[in-house]
Amino acid sequence: MKEKQQRYEALVHAFHGDIYRYAYWLTRDPAVAEDIVQETFLRAWRSLDSLKDEKSAKSWLITIVRRENARRFERKQLETVDIDDVPVADEAFHSGNGDDTEELRILIARLPADYREPLILQLIFGYSGEEIAEQLSLNKNTVMTRLFRARNQLRDMLESDSAHQRGRHNG
Amino acid sequence: MDDLEFRRRIYADPNTTDKDMLAAIKGDSDKAALKSSLQQLDGKLLQAAKVPVPDDLAHKLIWQQATGEFNRHKRRSRWFIAMAASVAFMAGVTGTMVFNQAPADIGTEALAHMRYAEIETPHSGIEVGMQQVNAKLAGFGGTFLQSIGDVAVANYCHLNRQQTLHLILNTDQGKMSVFVMPHNDSNPVPPAFADEKYHGESWSLQNASIMVVGDKGADLNPLVKKVKSSISFSA
Repeated sequence: MKEKQQRYEALVHAFHGDIYRYAYWLTRDPAVAEDIVQETFLRAWRSLDSLKDEKSAKSWLITIVRRENARRFERKQLETVDIDDVPVADEAFHSGNGDDTEELRILIARLPADYREPLILQLIFGYSGEEIAEQLSLNKNTVMTRLFRARNQLRDMLESDSAHQRGRHNG
Repeated sequence: MDDLEFRRRIYADPNTTDKDMLAAIKGDSDKAALKSSLQQLDGKLLQAAKVPVPDDLAHKLIWQQATGEFNRHKRRSRWFIAMAASVAFMAGVTGTMVFNQAPADIGTEALAHMRYAEIETPHSGIEVGMQQVNAKLAGFGGTFLQSIGDVAVANYCHLNRQQTLHLILNTDQGKMSVFVMPHNDSNPVPPAFADEKYHGESWSLQNASIMVVGDKGADLNPLVKKVKSSISFSA
């Protein structure tokens, strides 16, 4: 029991940060992300004996986060719309406060979920194309195309935004 | 490799170590520049992707597991006692309903609950810290600013269907209980109440009523004072 507790605590310390960030990028809502992480680690405790090594534990946690997130959509399907389908004007982004990281966060959040998710797996977990494909049950070519489109869209958005900023300055 | 193919692959993975990609970069400064600008972008993206994690998240995860496991253990080992207690409790309630026409007020409920709680033996060696008590109290928007003594049990219970936090403390005057109950118009709390075994006092704060209950002869004042000076509710 004590040994199990120690293993669990080690698992929490090793992964809670990145798992939270992953949940955050799936949901784009800190409170919902935290709920999902709590549920995920509760399940991890129950299945701790089957989580043999670090790699499989990480992949297992990611799978549970995705499942919990999907479940949220099943529940809320009737009440909410996906933000991807709605034009959203964010004035904060155009305020030109010059904070790179904040600007990029807004842009990453604007990416379609299908592009955002593999990108986050690659950035945060250092996953290769093959590993992302396996995690998301996609083929590798699809993953590479989505990664290409993710960065391509980000660059486009960055460029159009700096053009927009210049336009504001000049006009 | 043509430019389009190179572009697709370097965008998909700016840190690629594929041999043909590295070879393509070697003879072409434009390709090398694209790679390095994408790597730079990736550095910034990684920084942006690392959103701040709530400070206490790791503690919360460990704490929720510990309490969940404890409750499960308690449930498993004490179901038969709980069963017997439920039967006794129901018998008591039925008796009260038959023989006592006066509506049960919250004080009476609390006293009845004391009997029930007596059967509930304290934790199996696990000390209930202030942090844990406060974690439960947080559900009502309250907190204890300092320790109110040796808390043996901290559990939610229901008094007249109102969720209430029930703390059992070991004091030098025997076991005493503190009930914290959010305000509810249908459940007025009498300022003092007693039966042949226990007596209790209550007072009201902006958000909740507090009851302190002890054995018949016990002096409630020291604990009342401690709770009054320690408890605080966020507006």
